[in-house]
Amino acid sequence: MKKTLKLKIFASFMLLIAMLAVAGTISIAEFRWLSNSVHGLIQDNYKSIEASKSMIEALEREDSGILLLLLGEWEEGREILKSADSLFISAFMTAKNNLTEQNENEYIEKIDASYKIFKSGWELPIVDTDKQGNISWYKDDIHKKFEATKFVVNELMSLNQSSMYNEVSELKEKSKRAIMPGIVSIIAALVFSLILNFFITRYFINPLSELAEAVDNFRDGDYNLQSNITSNDEIKKLEQSISDLLQRIVNNSNKIKQ
Amino acid sequence: MKKEIIIKQLGFVLLLNSVFLFISFLISFFLHETSTIALLFSALICGIFGIFPLIFVERTEHIGFDEGLTIVVFGWIITCIVGMLPYLMWGSEFTLANAWFESVSGFTTTGSTILNEIESLPKGLLFWRSATHWIGGIGIILFVLLILPQSKGQQITVYNTEISSLSKMNFRFKARKIVQILAIVYISLTLIETVALMLLGMSFFDAINHSFATIATGGFSTKNLSIAAFNNIGIEIIIMIFMILSGIHFGLIYGTIMLKKENLFRSSLAKTFVLVLFIGILLVSLKLNLSGKYDFWTSLRYASFQVISLGTTTGFATEDTANWPIFTQIILIYFTIQCAMSGSTSGGLKFDRLYIFFKLIGKQLKMLKHPNGVFVSKFDGKRIDEKLEQNTLVFIVLYISVFFITTLILTAMDIDGMTAFSASIATIGNVGPGFGNVSSFGNFSSLPDLGKFVLTINMLLGRLEIFNILALIMIKK
Repeated sequence: MKKTLKLKIFASFMLLIAMLAVAGTISIAEFRWLSNSVHGLIQDNYKSIEASKSMIEALEREDSGILLLLLGEWEEGREILKSADSLFISAFMTAKNNLTEQNENEYIEKIDASYKIFKSGWELPIVDTDKQGNISWYKDDIHKKFEATKFVVNELMSLNQSSMYNEVSELKEKSKRAIMPGIVSIIAALVFSLILNFFITRYFINPLSELAEAVDNFRDGDYNLQSNITSNDEIKKLEQSISDLLQRIVNNSNKIKQ
Repeated sequence: MKKEIIIKQLGFVLLLNSVFLFISFLISFFLHETSTIALLFSALICGIFGIFPLIFVERTEHIGFDEGLTIVVFGWIITCIVGMLPYLMWGSEFTLANAWFESVSGFTTTGSTILNEIESLPKGLLFWRSATHWIGGIGIILFVLLILPQSKGQQITVYNTEISSLSKMNFRFKARKIVQILAIVYISLTLIETVALMLLGMSFFDAINHSFATIATGGFSTKNLSIAAFNNIGIEIIIMIFMILSGIHFGLIYGTIMLKKENLFRSSLAKTFVLVLFIGILLVSLKLNLSGKYDFWTSLRYASFQVISLGTTTGFATEDTANWPIFTQIILIYFTIQCAMSGSTSGGLKFDRLYIFFKLIGKQLKMLKHPNGVFVSKFDGKRIDEKLEQNTLVFIVLYISVFFITTLILTAMDIDGMTAFSASIATIGNVGPGFGNVSSFGNFSSLPDLGKFVLTINMLLGRLEIFNILALIMIKK
């Protein structure tokens, strides 16, 4: 195939466009992935961490409610326990429906079992029973069950926190990877432009200047159109056309003189 | 100097890189690795810059010496720049300085690494890392010339630049034939070693990567503990055999296989090289054994591997030499300075120059006894040209000056003496590991960025031979 100037310049720009298009597509894809990851991070780990915090808060309120019952404050104590239980169950359901980590289900099952044991300890009447004012029962039985449940909830929170930390580190790396194609393609495009500029000067501007100089020489009386155009493209064609034209002018001028 | 011809030839160099980057991309793609995009994009950039000059530059005529030299030097530099792209784009341990260091170390077949956790790298990147050795080993320019339908004259000039002038001493084949010989020997050795390692229990991936690194006398391994990770004496023996073969003039190996006159068994240079390696092994083994470090056979096993690894500028390891007695370390440093034979894939000072140097010392000693006598150094019955002797001396002085200056620069950065000294020698000799913090099981990550940059200059000077760089500077002037 004959490589005309038109084809050469077109092909060069196509290469540049292809490079920028691929870089753009990759960057967009990476950023979309990044955006989805951030969304997922909030949806997945953050949701479970918040649920764990709510469960711990509920457990602590329940502990306070139990202490009130020990003091004989039945109405206030039961009210706190009821609302805290409702908060715990709601938070627990959120965590249960948001299983995103490996073995997370095991932690949920442990929390469920532990909370059931803890709840069975304060569901039964405390006021006006032998448990009222019984610090030993509180210390050796119910408080230990409270601590055990809180410990498992904390474990669930740690699991999600460490996973979140790892994902954030990975996201940081990913964001760098998303930016890199852009940076590389900008530098590559600059280098590409410089090389293109060199080729255009070498294969387009220089031959044209040589041709213009040859025509000037013709005007000054040098009838040998000499230029060093080696390429086989439009410039060569132009050189031949000008050469033919000038030859014809010379011939006509000779005829007129005769 | 015709710039368009240089740009076109550099384009071919980039196209070759692009092929290997694409293979690495395919590995990452099929294994669903995180380096997939980095490798694909790097292959694309390389490919585009490779094709671009072909659009404009017509079929090229004769390439002169100036152009040949520029193509070789710039070819290497550009290759190192594009070689760092996948590392840089992938990130993790690869900062700009680290990516540049790893890329230069790969292409110059040095084998020094900045990686702390090699095994955590995606397989595609590990393959690219080894491929940089393989491409660098035979010399990208030499490789590109094979696939170029160009004139004979052009190949001769570029070939002369690429291969140390000393390598022509043994052989007087025509350049085109030498290019073919080198390629055939290079590819065959790689394939044979891969099969041998697989038969001894290595996976195909590890075998091909270690073969790439052995034949190129590189030293990049896919394992943190290098060859020690396999703890397999069979694998060690195979690698030792191929390290020695890769450290010998490839034409000699070809000559031996083809039962030619100029073969391994007739070359006094090759025989002396192997003999010096054996003496080194013996001394190191004895010292290790006598100092109570290991029993005799273990001493022999570790000493053989380390001496051959450093003596052929490969840089693989089976034991941490940082804890070895100082006597053995000094012997290993000697082998790091000596390097292997010209016409092999090793870089650095080269054994041939030391051979000429010692012959010259002998000549000078004779002259002390007979001041008016005329003495001639000979090599396999042939006279060694005095100009060659002079060039050798100048080269050795320049070589020592470079690593002395580098050591000085590194110590100015508060790097300890042993680390600075051994890192300088190991990089200019394209060997890889040194001692101190950069020992066989260590790495160069703890060095400051400026130190890493200085060492990469060393690697390039070692690979391209200082004279070529100086010649290019003179041409530019």
